[in-house]
Amino acid sequence: MLKSWKLKEIVLMSLFGVVFGIVYLVAIHFGNIWAGLIGPIAYEWMFGIWFIVSILSMAIIRKPGAAVLPETIAAIIEVMLGNAVGPRLILSGVIQGLGAEAAFAATRYRHFNLAVMMLAGAGAAVFSFVYGYFVSGYAALDPSFVLLMFTLRVLSGAIIAGIGGKYLADGLLATGALRGYAISRTKQGGAGA
Amino acid sequence: MSRLLHDMNPSVKFIIVTVSMLTMAFFFNPWTPLLFWVGILALQFTMSRINWKLWALMMLPFTLGAVGYLWTTLVFGADSGGEVIGSFAGIEVTDEQWAHAWSLTFRVMAFSTLSLLFAFTTNPVTFVMSLMQQLKVPPKIAYGTMVGYQFLPVLKDELTQIRQAQRLRGVSQDRHWWQRVAGTRRLLIPMLAGAVRKAERAAFAMEARGFTGERRKEFYRPVRVSGRDYVLAGVFLAVLAVSCAAGLIMGK
Amino acid sequence: MHEHVISLADVSFRFPDDPENTLNGLTFEIQRGERVVISGPSGCGKSTLLYLLNRLYPLNCDGIDEGDIHLFGKSADDYRPGEINRRIATVFQDPDSQFCMTTVEEELAFTLENLRVPRADVERRIVDVLDQTGLANFRQSVIQSLSGGQKQRVATACALISEPEILLLDEPLAHLDPLTARNFVQWLDGLQRQTGLTVVAVEHRLDLWERFFEREIVLGLDGQMIADHPSDSKAPVAFPQSATGMTGRPALSVTELSVEISGKQLLAPLSFDVEEGEIAVIAGPNGSGKSTLAKALCGIYKHSGTVRSPGTGYVPQSPEFLFLTNSVADELAFSGLATTETLNDLAERLMLTPIWDAHPFSVSHGQKRRIAIGTMLADNRPVIIMDEPTSGQDTAGLQELFSLINERSREGITFLIITHDMEFAAAVADSILLINDGRLTGKFRAEDVWADPSLLDEHHLLPPRGADRREPTFA
Repeated sequence: MLKSWKLKEIVLMSLFGVVFGIVYLVAIHFGNIWAGLIGPIAYEWMFGIWFIVSILSMAIIRKPGAAVLPETIAAIIEVMLGNAVGPRLILSGVIQGLGAEAAFAATRYRHFNLAVMMLAGAGAAVFSFVYGYFVSGYAALDPSFVLLMFTLRVLSGAIIAGIGGKYLADGLLATGALRGYAISRTKQGGAGA
Repeated sequence: MSRLLHDMNPSVKFIIVTVSMLTMAFFFNPWTPLLFWVGILALQFTMSRINWKLWALMMLPFTLGAVGYLWTTLVFGADSGGEVIGSFAGIEVTDEQWAHAWSLTFRVMAFSTLSLLFAFTTNPVTFVMSLMQQLKVPPKIAYGTMVGYQFLPVLKDELTQIRQAQRLRGVSQDRHWWQRVAGTRRLLIPMLAGAVRKAERAAFAMEARGFTGERRKEFYRPVRVSGRDYVLAGVFLAVLAVSCAAGLIMGK
Repeated sequence: MHEHVISLADVSFRFPDDPENTLNGLTFEIQRGERVVISGPSGCGKSTLLYLLNRLYPLNCDGIDEGDIHLFGKSADDYRPGEINRRIATVFQDPDSQFCMTTVEEELAFTLENLRVPRADVERRIVDVLDQTGLANFRQSVIQSLSGGQKQRVATACALISEPEILLLDEPLAHLDPLTARNFVQWLDGLQRQTGLTVVAVEHRLDLWERFFEREIVLGLDGQMIADHPSDSKAPVAFPQSATGMTGRPALSVTELSVEISGKQLLAPLSFDVEEGEIAVIAGPNGSGKSTLAKALCGIYKHSGTVRSPGTGYVPQSPEFLFLTNSVADELAFSGLATTETLNDLAERLMLTPIWDAHPFSVSHGQKRRIAIGTMLADNRPVIIMDEPTSGQDTAGLQELFSLINERSREGITFLIITHDMEFAAAVADSILLINDGRLTGKFRAEDVWADPSLLDEHHLLPPRGADRREPTFA
């Protein structure tokens, strides 16, 4: 799979991972550790932030693996930067990435419109939730509560990652920085072969 | 023996941490995660030299998170039968729910401690080199990741410059989180556009020095797996096994 | 003796997205040990040519090439990926983005691993190249903590460690200040004499290289070769003469300004005045506090003391850092302070009308600078500070910058310009503020600075060559 990848594309995904990492830390970071007190549901709505890098990279590079690789690389970089969540992130990164990848694979990497991107965001959310259900023991929670968490996460994936990713990809395309990448070749970023 | 964990092979450490985590997921009694947590703390205390003050600071948000887990599980616990052992504010709690709540709480503590153990005792560069040498992560990905890591100070500085410039244009610090999330577009577009240019330059520089992404047979600084790593892995697994077994017996 | 290490026969090249060829019918040979520079205006394809020689292209951009490139007597297409890079090494222009490891030693080892140098040989080669390049003390240094000039030396060491026969240089001085650049060229000159390497460089500012090159291949805008002749040392960039725009009215008045950030004093109290329409250059060594002063003046940094100004704007080295919207028109209108007439007037004066609806990121660097100045003027900031606008500029870019500043100054706009480029300063400046180690040495008339070698030396500046191209109109 890696044969068809140019090094510049891999380095690009890696730098994207770093950019999202620091923008998150510096600009959004809620600086509010008390949110933890609210319990696991406090962070559900913002899960989509973690999936954006997958969707943005796929929108730009449009190759099999362009969703799962950046999420994995971003996770490794987070671990290198000393993220306290630690090595767990790598496994969850791979799993989330696979969720987004599944949506693009299902459309055979032919369509990159908003609907597919939202589907990919939702896919990442579903995969990550199944993994979280197992690792964090959601089985011990009331099914209706679990359903609420699940709904929030899927919405977050579809909206923040799907719409946000599309929005960023279009914004970046307009800057003219993406010359030479697949997104610039199919003149408009929408659907189409 | 105080620096043993720092010298442990990072890939072995990574696998042990992941295996322990996945194993914990099967246990819903409070004893297994509690014992494992205590065991990990003991290992870290005897086999590493770390800044415990910083450790405590980083542990704080996780501890709050654990409290969040405790009450969430008590209030929204699954109805899994068992005797009602108490009630407050109209919510009845069964012994089963009580056990689950503490189990999940200790699980959070055990995971966090394990994560911090990894973070505090692992050199990031050695970790990636080890992923490539032991776990056969392709060099393109390993070195691609290294580039990202090297760019951290450069990109951080760029973010500062952009925020200063935008503040001059009259963009003020957004107060609410939703404004901040929406406002990140203004920061992300210039950062990402710059990243595209830098990525190409860095990749070209690597290729111009003969990097093809082929697997290498020899390394300047090989990261090795030694007998000591197997022993340490054995110690971790023993702590894990004892916690599981003791939990099963005590949880009856 | 006359061995051709590089030979091109009717080589053309086209990017897949472009209808036109970037390079057109190039034919030339380069002999072993030659020092050749490929020059031409920006966009003439000279970097593309370099990337064809080290084989980054055509693969990396899926480009379409025609004609024959022979390297060391063998067709370039017959080399396996990475194979040619043992014999042809490259140093790139951006000191920040050509490394992937943390320390100098690791970066050198990375190159040797790529080339599959046996481990027994690695140590010797690292020691040798560090001695050869005079970097022995930097072996364990963290690369990102080094200065731009030091990073370029490390990049050169990384290139030389493969023991190449050809060294390619892709505008290696573009991001260095003139003094650092001159030192780099002298250092490279010694290395070339010692090794007999073939050196092929792409460069648009030949004056910085003095007599380094023997031969110059000149490309035209359409990617054709327009000259191939012995190189002579170049005259510096020429700027037109121009009268000052100073009106005699005060614009910026600074009294006892000092800056302290997290307990550290970055600027000691300083005072100076600048007139309306005056162009003042701020110069001094790296890290001496020039940018701190700029940021304090426009209100990014907190400071003590007083600054009286009708409104101070700031244009960073990357003007796009200021941009917030998706079109040039929105960019100027962003603050809502300017009336439609003012905006139309600015568009006219700054020549922004043709790009009025374009995305501000997608235009040329010179145009971005115009937009940035436009935003500052639209926000009623008639005192404008520019941070290193000369860095990385070719002749055309510098001349454009000159006329941009010069014309505005005659409209009554006041400029403070941070630059190391004394050629540019000599052409544009009414006065020079010298800063050293967080202190203002003083505000000088430009000619007084050129006449004082010790003052220049103290502030790590090179005197402008062929000074006095501008008449002192206020004498």
